[in-house]
Amino acid sequence: MAAADNTSAALRRRDLCSRGIRLAGKMRSDVVDLLDTYVERQGLDASASVAAVEGVPVAAVERWDEQTGTQRLLENLAAYRTFRALLAQMLEEQQEQLGEADTTLGQALAAVLLQVSAFTYHLEELLRLESRGPPSEEGAEPPPAPHLSLFERKLRGLGVLRELAQWAVRSTRDLRQLAKPSPGSSSPASLAESP
Amino acid sequence: MWKNSSIRCLFAIAILCLRSLIYGQETGSLGHPQNLKCITHNLRKMICTWDVSSKGRHGQTDILCFKTKEKKVEIPVPESSSTMTITTNSISGTPFVTKEFEIHKKDISFVPLTPRILSLTPDFSTSTLNLKWSDNGSVFLYGLDAFWQIQILRKEPGTNIRRVTYYSKLSHEDMILSWNWTSDMPLECTSHYVKIRCYINVTQFVGPKDWSDWSPIEEIPGKDTEPNGSGVYPQDTVVAVGSDVTICCVHEKGQQIQRMTYGPEIYPMIRLSSRSSAIRVLNASASDTSGTNVVCRLSEDDMDGTVLFVGYAPDTPQNLSCETSNFLKIKCTWKPGRPSGLYGKRRTKYSLFERISGKNVSCEVNEMNRERVCGFPVLADQKTYDFVLGVSNPIGQTESLLLVDLTQKVHPKAPEKLTVSGNSSTSVHLHWFINGSFAEIRLLCQIEVSCGHSERRLHNVSMPGGEFSTYTAQLNALHAYTKYQFRVRCSAADHFWRWSDWSRIEEHTTLEAPPARGPDIWREKSPSGKSLKIFWKPLSLSEANGKIVSHEVSCYLLETPLEHKEVTEPSNSTEIKLGTSDCIISVVAKNHAGSSPPSRITSVELPSDNVKTDRAVAMGNGIYISWNSYPNMTCGYIVKWCHSSGSEPCSVDWQKFPSNTTDAVIKSALFRPGVRYNFSLYGCKSSGYQLLKNITGYIKELPPKRAPNFTVEETSSDSILVKWEDIPIEDCQGFLEGYRLSFAKGEKDALKPTLSESGNPELKVKNITDLTKKSLKILDLQGKTSYQLDLQAYTAGGLSPPNSLYVVTKEDSVGLIIAILIPVAVVVLLGVVASIFCYRKREWIKETFYPEIPNPENSKALQFQKNICEGNKTLKTLEMNPCTPNSVEVVETRSSAPKIEDTEMMSPAADTTVPEDGSDSETENHVVVSYCPPIIEEEISSPPMDEPVGSSQVVYIDIQSMYQPQIKPEEEPEIVTTAGYKPQMQLPVSALKIESCSPAEEELDKTAGYRPQANTNAWNMDTPDSPGSAESNNENASFGSPCSINSRQFLLPPKDDEDSPKPSNIGWSFTHFFQNKPND
Repeated sequence: MAAADNTSAALRRRDLCSRGIRLAGKMRSDVVDLLDTYVERQGLDASASVAAVEGVPVAAVERWDEQTGTQRLLENLAAYRTFRALLAQMLEEQQEQLGEADTTLGQALAAVLLQVSAFTYHLEELLRLESRGPPSEEGAEPPPAPHLSLFERKLRGLGVLRELAQWAVRSTRDLRQLAKPSPGSSSPASLAESP
Repeated sequence: MWKNSSIRCLFAIAILCLRSLIYGQETGSLGHPQNLKCITHNLRKMICTWDVSSKGRHGQTDILCFKTKEKKVEIPVPESSSTMTITTNSISGTPFVTKEFEIHKKDISFVPLTPRILSLTPDFSTSTLNLKWSDNGSVFLYGLDAFWQIQILRKEPGTNIRRVTYYSKLSHEDMILSWNWTSDMPLECTSHYVKIRCYINVTQFVGPKDWSDWSPIEEIPGKDTEPNGSGVYPQDTVVAVGSDVTICCVHEKGQQIQRMTYGPEIYPMIRLSSRSSAIRVLNASASDTSGTNVVCRLSEDDMDGTVLFVGYAPDTPQNLSCETSNFLKIKCTWKPGRPSGLYGKRRTKYSLFERISGKNVSCEVNEMNRERVCGFPVLADQKTYDFVLGVSNPIGQTESLLLVDLTQKVHPKAPEKLTVSGNSSTSVHLHWFINGSFAEIRLLCQIEVSCGHSERRLHNVSMPGGEFSTYTAQLNALHAYTKYQFRVRCSAADHFWRWSDWSRIEEHTTLEAPPARGPDIWREKSPSGKSLKIFWKPLSLSEANGKIVSHEVSCYLLETPLEHKEVTEPSNSTEIKLGTSDCIISVVAKNHAGSSPPSRITSVELPSDNVKTDRAVAMGNGIYISWNSYPNMTCGYIVKWCHSSGSEPCSVDWQKFPSNTTDAVIKSALFRPGVRYNFSLYGCKSSGYQLLKNITGYIKELPPKRAPNFTVEETSSDSILVKWEDIPIEDCQGFLEGYRLSFAKGEKDALKPTLSESGNPELKVKNITDLTKKSLKILDLQGKTSYQLDLQAYTAGGLSPPNSLYVVTKEDSVGLIIAILIPVAVVVLLGVVASIFCYRKREWIKETFYPEIPNPENSKALQFQKNICEGNKTLKTLEMNPCTPNSVEVVETRSSAPKIEDTEMMSPAADTTVPEDGSDSETENHVVVSYCPPIIEEEISSPPMDEPVGSSQVVYIDIQSMYQPQIKPEEEPEIVTTAGYKPQMQLPVSALKIESCSPAEEELDKTAGYRPQANTNAWNMDTPDSPGSAESNNENASFGSPCSINSRQFLLPPKDDEDSPKPSNIGWSFTHFFQNKPND
C-alpha cells in the first residue's frame, strides 16, 4: 500500500514537473517578447546594462548542483512570489504613467504576471507533494520600493524582466532535476541532488 | 516738512552755535579738515565725512556742537544751505584747527540704504527662485518710486546671467517685496547667487541721487556642492513642444561623463562645474507616450537619467454640447482638439463647473476616445445651466463655456418594449416605454410603418411626457392582411433637439377583409360556339385583402342563373357550356373574410368582316400597337394575346383600354426576343365584343435561326437555277425581309469560310426582296467552272447563317471547237508561207548554210575560237588563262564534292600572289567559272609546291556546286561520326595542316575543341592552290566561290552535301557546262 502511494506520488511529481517545465518555457518565451516590447515602448537601449536591482531575486547561485530538491523549490517559490509583487507594481506604475495610451505593454505585462502567478501556484503544489507545505507569504513581499525617479523605475523594470527571464531558465533546469527518477522513495530526503 | 519739534529745536541750536563759532575763530593750515562730503539715506539726516591733514596731531573734533573722534558726523539735512565749522582739538582738548564749510543742499547726495534680502527660496520642481526683501518705506515720510536691481549669478561660469529691474512704490510703511525668477536651468545643476540694490527717485531732492550698495549675496547651492550629490535634472519634467530645455548631469567627484543623450541623439555638453555638465535641447519635439529619456552615461556600467515629457498645452474643447436623455443626468460632450501628447498622470484633465449652482464635477474621460463625455446631475428646479468646462494639463489650461436650457436639449433614449396589437384589418395599437422623466415636456414620437419592399411611411404622434412611462399610439388606414414592420423614435415636441435612436422593429399582420374588387375577366368561345372559356387575372395583394381561396363563376341570362361554378385556387380559368343562347358571365373572388363585388362580361361575340392583320412595332421592352378609332365601340377595347411556352397550351392574357384610346404599348415580363406574338383587338359594345383586327409583332427581332433550304434545279454552261423553301415562322425570329444569294467561283472545301467572309473579289450578291419568289436563275457564268452558292435569309435583326452549295457549270462545246480549229489553221498557213519562201530563196539558203566549199570567213564555229583568243570580253563563259592549257580534264560534277578552297586562306603566300598591277585585268571579270586546281588523291600525294606552274589540271564547276564542302571521301565519315559540333574554325591549326595532314594530327584536331564546322582538312588537302600554283592561278582563285573577304573561307557549305561522300574523281564534262545543272 505504501509502495503504491509512493509510486503515485512519484508519478504525480513527475507530471507536475513536466507541466512546470512547459510553463517555464512558455513564460521564458513571453518574457523575452515582453522585454523587446518594454525596451521599445520605454525608449530604452536594449544593450543597456542594469546593475543589480534591489529587491529583485538573482537567478545565479553558487553550488547549484548541490542543492536539494526542496531547496530548489523553496528558492523558486520565494523568487516567483517576489516577481509576482514586482510585476504587479510595474503594472500599476505603467497604468499610472501611460493610462490607456499603451495597452499593448500593459496587456503583455498582465499576461506575464498571470503566468508568474500560475507558476507560483504550481511550485506550491510541488512543495505540498513533498509533504512540506509552502511557506507562508509573510516576509516574502519585497520591501516597499524607495522613491525612484521615472527613469530609475524604467531601468528597474528592465532589470526585473531580465532577471525573470533568467529565472525561467533556472526553473526549467531545477524542474528537470526534480523530474529525474530517483532510486529511493519520494521523501524530501530523496530529492537530494547528486552532482 | 519736518514735523518733529525736537529735531527742529536741535537744528536751531546747532545753527546758532555754528554762527558763534564762525565769527570767533580763524582757520589754520595744518590739521585742517578737508573734502567734506555729506550723504543722506533718509532725507532727514545726513552723514558728513571729511579728511584731516595728517601733519597735525589732534585728538577730538568739534563740529558745531558735536564732538566726535571719527571723521564723520550725522547731522540733520539743512533746509537750503548752511555753514559747517569743524574744529580739530588737540589730544589735550584744546582747539587746534578750525575750518568752516558752507554746505549747500545740492551738494548733499541721496543714497538709499542698502537693501537686505529677507529670504531666497528655491522651488526645484519649477526651477524658480523666490526673493523677498523689505523696501524700508517707513524711512520716507511720503511715497516714492523705488527701482530695485536684482542680479543673479551662477557658480563657475561666474557670469552675471540675469540682471532685472523691479519697480515698486514706497509707502510710509515697511513693505516686504517678493520677486520670482524662473531659471532656464534646473537649480540643482549648479549654485545660484542673488544680490539686490535700489534706487529711489526723490524728485524733490536737488542733490545727486545714486543706487544703494549691493546687498550681501544670497546663495542657492547646487547639487554639485553636496558631497554625494548626483543625478540628472530636471527630474521627470513636462515641457511644451518647441521649448528650449537645459538638462544637466551632476555626478560624484572623480567620475567623468562619457556622453549625454536626449532620446537617441548624443548632445554636446556644456560644462557647468567640475561635477556638473549640461546639454541644451532646442525646440524640443513631442515625446513618445513614455517620455523621452535623457541618459547621462558615466561609464559603460554606470548611468543616470531622467525622463522628459514634451507635449502640448490643452487645446480649447470644440463643439461642447450638453443634453439630457432622461432629466436625471446631463451629458456633455466635446471634441478635445489637438492631442496633448501627455498621458497617464500627466494627461489633460477636465472638470465641469456650473456657475449658477456653483457645483463642480471632475470628468473621467478616456484619453483614447475622440469624443469626450462628462456627466453632470440634473439639479432640482434648475432649467438653465451655465457650464464652464475647465481643461488643464501640466503645461497649461483653458476652458470652454456653454449656457444651456435643458428643456431644449432633450435627446431621449431609444424607445423600448415596443409591442403591436390589433383586432382589425386596418388599424393597430402600438405601445412602448421610454426610460426617462419627461413630465415637464411633451414628446413627439415618429412611427415608421413599412411593408415588404414598399415605401416607408412615417406617422408623427405628439403626446404629453411622463415619468418613466409607457406610451400608446393608434395607427389607422392600414391594408388588410398585410405584414407591417413598425418602429418608433421620439424627441421633445416643443423644442426639437434630436431624435432618439429607433426602437427595435416589431412586425404585425393585419386581419383579412373581403376582396376590394372583382377580378379582371375575359372569355373566349370555342370554335363550335358551344362552350365558353372564362379567364380571370389574380387580384393584387392590396386588392385581394387576404388569401383568395376560390372564384365563383356564374352564367346569367336576364338575371336567371344558368350555370354556377366554384373554382378553387390556383386555377385562373374555367369552361362552361353555353346553351342555345349567350349569357352574362359573373366572376366573384372569395377569401376567408368574404367575397368581392362581381365582375361581369357578356359571352356575345359580334361578327367581324375583313379582319386585317397588321404588324406591331417593337418598342423598348414592349410592343407598340395602334388602331383606328371605332366610334361605335362604346365600352372600350381589349387587346388579347397568348403566351406559349414550349409544349404547354398558350396562356391567354389581355389588357383593357378605354374607348378613347387608339394605341398602346403592351408590356409583359413573359415577352421574349425573337418570338412572334399575335394580338387580337376587340371592340366592346353594349351588345358584345367584336374582333377588329389582328396584330403580330416581336418585342425584338432577331436574325433567322437558319437559312432556307435550297436546291439547284438546272445547270447550263452559263447559268444556274436555284430554288428554295420557306423558313418556318418560329425559325424566322422576326419579320422576314428578303434573301441574299451570294456566289463566286470556288471548289468545295470544308475549311473554306462563307463567301461573305472570304473577301473573294469575284463575289457577287443578289438580294431578293420579293418574298413570294422562291427561285432564281443566275446568269453570265463560265462554263465548266465550280461555283459556291450561299443563301441567307434576313430580318430586321440581321442575316441568318448561310446555306452553301457547290455547282459546276456545264462545258461550252462551241468554244472548244473554236479553240482547236484556229491554232491548226494558223500552223497550216505558216507552213504554206514558209514553203513558198524557201522555194523562192532556195539558192541563197544553199549558199549560206550548205556551200559546197566552206568559207572560213563565214564559219561561225571558227569565230567562236577566235573571239576567245582575242580576249573578247563579251564571251566570258569561255575565258581561260592560260589560254592554251597543258591538259584539260573534264569532270562530272553530279555528285562530286568539288575541291574548292580559298587559296588565300590556305596559303601563306596567297597575299603576295594577288596581282596588283593591271596585267591580269583581262581576267578580272571572270566571275562565272572558277578555276580550281587538281584534285584529290593526286594532290595529297604530291603537294602543290612541287607542281610545276602551268601543269595543273583544270576543273570547271558552276557556282552552285562550289558551295559543296570539299571533303575527302575516305575521311569524311569518320569526322562526321566523331567530331560532333565543333564551333568555328581555327585558322592557325588549319594552316599548319596544309603541309602535314597526317592522320594523327587529324585526330588531334578532332579533339581540339574550338573548330570550324566544315572539314577544313578536306579543304586543305584538296586545295590545289599551293604557293607554287597560286601564281599562275590566282586570277581565278576566287571565282565561283562565295568567299568571305576576311576569313577567306567558304560561306554556308550545304550540310546535305557534307553528309554524302562524293566520288573524288567525278567532275564535269565540258558539254554539261552548257546543258545541265551539276546535279541533274
